[in-house]
Amino acid sequence: MNPYPDWLNPGDNAWQLMAATLVGLMSVPGIAVLYGGIVQKKWAVNTMLMAFTGFSLVLVVWVLWGFKLSFGEPMKLGPGILSSVIGKPRSILGTDNTHQAVIPLLDGAMPKFRFSESTLAYFQFVFAAITPLLFLGSVIGRINFKVWLIFVPLWSTLAYSVNAFLLWGGGWWAQAHPSISSAWTTGALDYSGGYVIHLAAGTSGFVAAAVIGPRLARDRDRAVPNNLPLAAVGAGILWLGWNGFNGGDPYFAGANASLAVLNTNLATGVALLTWVLWDIFASRQRKPTFLGGINGMITGLVAITPAAGFVNTFGALIIGVVASSLVWMSWNWLGRTRLFNKVDDALGVIHTHGVAGLAGGLLVGVLADPHVVEYLGNGADVSDVTSAGWLWGHHPFQILIQLGAALNIIVWDAFITFALLKIIGLFMKLRLPDEVLEVGDIGVHDEEAYPDDAIVSGRVGATFADKPAEPVEG
Amino acid sequence: MKLITAIVQPHTVANVHTAVDQAGVHGLTFSEVKGYGRQKGHTEVYRGAEYQVDFIPKARIDVVVEDDHVDAVVAAILGAAHTGKIGDGKVWVTPVESLIRVRTGERGTDAL
Repeated sequence: MNPYPDWLNPGDNAWQLMAATLVGLMSVPGIAVLYGGIVQKKWAVNTMLMAFTGFSLVLVVWVLWGFKLSFGEPMKLGPGILSSVIGKPRSILGTDNTHQAVIPLLDGAMPKFRFSESTLAYFQFVFAAITPLLFLGSVIGRINFKVWLIFVPLWSTLAYSVNAFLLWGGGWWAQAHPSISSAWTTGALDYSGGYVIHLAAGTSGFVAAAVIGPRLARDRDRAVPNNLPLAAVGAGILWLGWNGFNGGDPYFAGANASLAVLNTNLATGVALLTWVLWDIFASRQRKPTFLGGINGMITGLVAITPAAGFVNTFGALIIGVVASSLVWMSWNWLGRTRLFNKVDDALGVIHTHGVAGLAGGLLVGVLADPHVVEYLGNGADVSDVTSAGWLWGHHPFQILIQLGAALNIIVWDAFITFALLKIIGLFMKLRLPDEVLEVGDIGVHDEEAYPDDAIVSGRVGATFADKPAEPVEG
Repeated sequence: MKLITAIVQPHTVANVHTAVDQAGVHGLTFSEVKGYGRQKGHTEVYRGAEYQVDFIPKARIDVVVEDDHVDAVVAAILGAAHTGKIGDGKVWVTPVESLIRVRTGERGTDAL
């Protein structure tokens, strides 16, 4: 007997499942405790439950239709981009997903997968799942919990699936279009989701925050965190979890995965330090802050995401410095302008995910190094798969392609988010009533993050009267 | 001298602070307390078990003032803490026998 079919490589399969698990840990507990620690004490429970329910909702959507919408056979909706914008919905329930994984439009453009469809589906699920959890940071502290339960599956179906298909499922933005421009020789490059995930989350979170409306004015004025050590735990899980996020995206446990992991960590460390230096030398208080450092860390992780296995390690360093500086300015200067004051993006997701994802995506068009090999050729008629940016003498048109894909994601996700919330808003209140917002977790869940047993008068409907101790014989 | 003690809704503390300051009294003590009056408590549910919580988080403000400041400060607190809902709290005034500033040893109204 043989445990493996011919096409399955246990090393690749083991790494892919491990990488997927690392990415899953970024959501639960990573995002749950990072956001749970950063929000006000009265919103910690609500925030964590939305993270756990969001993760679960996306998994159900994913096996029923989401995976195939994102990575299946293209659905022909019309000419041009409409011919490869989304896959045909199909469930993957049943046992037929033990066969070799395949992304139909990429078959032949990359080596054949050496693991099963279940592995690919689960790996891609954890990316789909973290995206709504990221934009949760924009709407916490006022979104109606029931609206969250309805919005997440719909958004995942209509926005995420399109993003993923266009860039990763071999869709229109992943394709070369020499008929439009002779310089359009490769598709838009998004290694692990600078656009599909982070630009999408930043855009959708901002629009959702605008449509749902702000938190209580008092809460916005006093939005102090309740537990920084808990936030540290979540942030650390995010950082190291990102080894799976970027290290898993080549789909093979090879040299490109190793480079992606090293690049990811360097860009992140550098971005964290850059933010801390900006805080020391340019912030109003001229002091380094822990939560500033965490913002820098997230910025680095996000900005290297579209680039991790396309740039060399020097490129990763550049991305860390540039993205962290841009997002620091966006956070501290743009964030104080009228529009950003008007829209209550509670945790500033538009900056750390939207701006950082966009910056990283554009920098790929500059810094992608043709010496970095994604997939090896055979030394004869099949050449190595590589990508090249402007810095390496490649046509600057790649930057325009990167920009075009970014605009597509921004416009589509903003539209879907706006339309879905407006429709849901016809049937229920998007924002909790003020009297519930005043109490927070106790009002929504009958739970609080740090209950005090000294003031509980007793368990309702049950008595556990203390019995006198039995005399001990002897 | 009088000690003014106010038990108010926690979210009104910043307003109370501003109002007392504007009434000409610069300095007060704030503490987080829990208690109950006419406002009912609430239930919390953990792992399916329901618990009655009768003590509600409140803010306590203590401020010592000269006698002729009492009316103005009490009025300021009442104005700032009033929402009209059950649970707004109470204010009471008690006489103060003596007062000493720890740093200088000054006594009475000099220590205010």
